[in-house]
Amino acid sequence: MEHVLEVRGLVHKYGDHTALAGVDLTVGAGECVALLGPNGAGKTTLVRNVIGLIDGDAELIEVAGGNPRRAETRRRLGVVQQAVGFPRSLTVGEIVGGAAVRRGCPPEAASRAIAEMGLTGLEKRRANKLSGGQQQRLQLAMGLVADPVLLVLDEPTEGLDVKARGRFWETIRRRLDDGAGVLITTHLVDEAAAVADRVVVVDRGRVVAEGTPDELRRTLPDRRIEVNTKVPVSVIRALDSVHSVELQHGRTVIAATDSELVIRALLDLDPEASDLTVATASLTEVLVAMTNDEEVAA
Amino acid sequence: MNTRVFRSEVRDEVLSIVREPTALLFTVLVPVAFFALFATMFGDQGDGFGVEAVATYGAFGVLSAVLINPGIGLADARERGWLRVKRADGTPLGVTLSAKVTAALPYAIITLAGIALVARFTAGPLDLSQVLRVIGVLLLGALPFSLFSLAVGARFSLNAAISVLNGVLIPLVVVSGLWFPLEMLPTWLGEIAVYLPPYHLAQLALAQVDGGPVWGHVAYLVGTTIVGAIAAALAYRSAEV
Repeated sequence: MEHVLEVRGLVHKYGDHTALAGVDLTVGAGECVALLGPNGAGKTTLVRNVIGLIDGDAELIEVAGGNPRRAETRRRLGVVQQAVGFPRSLTVGEIVGGAAVRRGCPPEAASRAIAEMGLTGLEKRRANKLSGGQQQRLQLAMGLVADPVLLVLDEPTEGLDVKARGRFWETIRRRLDDGAGVLITTHLVDEAAAVADRVVVVDRGRVVAEGTPDELRRTLPDRRIEVNTKVPVSVIRALDSVHSVELQHGRTVIAATDSELVIRALLDLDPEASDLTVATASLTEVLVAMTNDEEVAA
Repeated sequence: MNTRVFRSEVRDEVLSIVREPTALLFTVLVPVAFFALFATMFGDQGDGFGVEAVATYGAFGVLSAVLINPGIGLADARERGWLRVKRADGTPLGVTLSAKVTAALPYAIITLAGIALVARFTAGPLDLSQVLRVIGVLLLGALPFSLFSLAVGARFSLNAAISVLNGVLIPLVVVSGLWFPLEMLPTWLGEIAVYLPPYHLAQLALAQVDGGPVWGHVAYLVGTTIVGAIAAALAYRSAEV
């Protein structure tokens, strides 16, 4: 598969703090990669390196066939960034039109992108009069204006309602079918996993897991076992396939990759163990457990 | 390509000014109103408020536009994350910054025209070629001040940039002798004035009227431009976008 993004050995430091400690990442043409991890994991730093806003040390960082520090390379990207406020006095048409000019596209490209994001009829409305969801769609329209070979989307569904999110994912699928690569960070892990070809989990500046959503579900501790048992936590923790153990309201809660294996071992240790339940955790819960954080977010 | 982007950027900046006219009113009205006030109060003294006064009060008018607007615009764009969007779009930094400076010039031109108009009514007919030379010099001499404005806008938050730039403007204008002739101020202020760039801008503009020396002031302003450019570049490099 032809790569539209290739990062090798990316290290980025802020003073003494290492935000990225040797990250490798690829995105192929027509491939959607979801970048997941807790707050502060390094995802936004990684995204900002990819779109050329900051400059870490890397063996290789090639985006759309070029160096992202070069303006002409960045013009081939479609980008949605977090926390962007539009100029108060400009209209939707002027903002997307300006994006078309900056990328060397004709004015029709702006009209197409506006229509694709469902903003037709709002061209003359000032951006600050749009709802949060409309503003997010406006930013995506700017990103789509030049038919980018790589879309880099940092929390693009933030503020979108269910209907708008559905429309957003439809747009992404269409762009994937057209051969664009997509790198997306989102806290809607399960929603992203439904579309992503590959999931990359980042924690403390390193890639800690990578694979298709199904592969991750198979290898990650997505089984949640709850049981009343006298077996000490430290003993359970030492069992095969157990990832984490904690006591919640007197019950023992275990995260594991293979629930059958753990239950057999547990019953050998404590035949009187009772009130046992097994549930399959969502990918979000798995990643939260894995990264020992309260939330998996961008 | 860059020319097209530059035109688009300037258009956006100018639209922002036209559609948010409050700032325009203050930037233009304050210097013109001050000039009208002083012309009314002191217009019958000395040579009156003719082209010479257009040079000194015009320097104040130009400063109030180019020292304030580009920096505040830049700080606002940074704080909104809009500058990040521009950079990610591949917009050359020079284009973004020069558009902000260029968009401040219409403010300055309207202010200068307003001051010249008041002078026409208070001092009688003016020598048009002198007025045009004064305006040209003031607009060209605005560059170093706009660079310092950008340096502040790249370094400080929006609120801090507004405070810093407004806090610098008035003392700079007074001490440089742009409101009152230096002869009317304490001697020690006059001694400070010769080290301040606005003084040299006003003197360069005055030289178009009284034929005074030019090159010393030009050299001072060129030096200030170089320092301003370095300050703006360093501030931008370390800026969080």
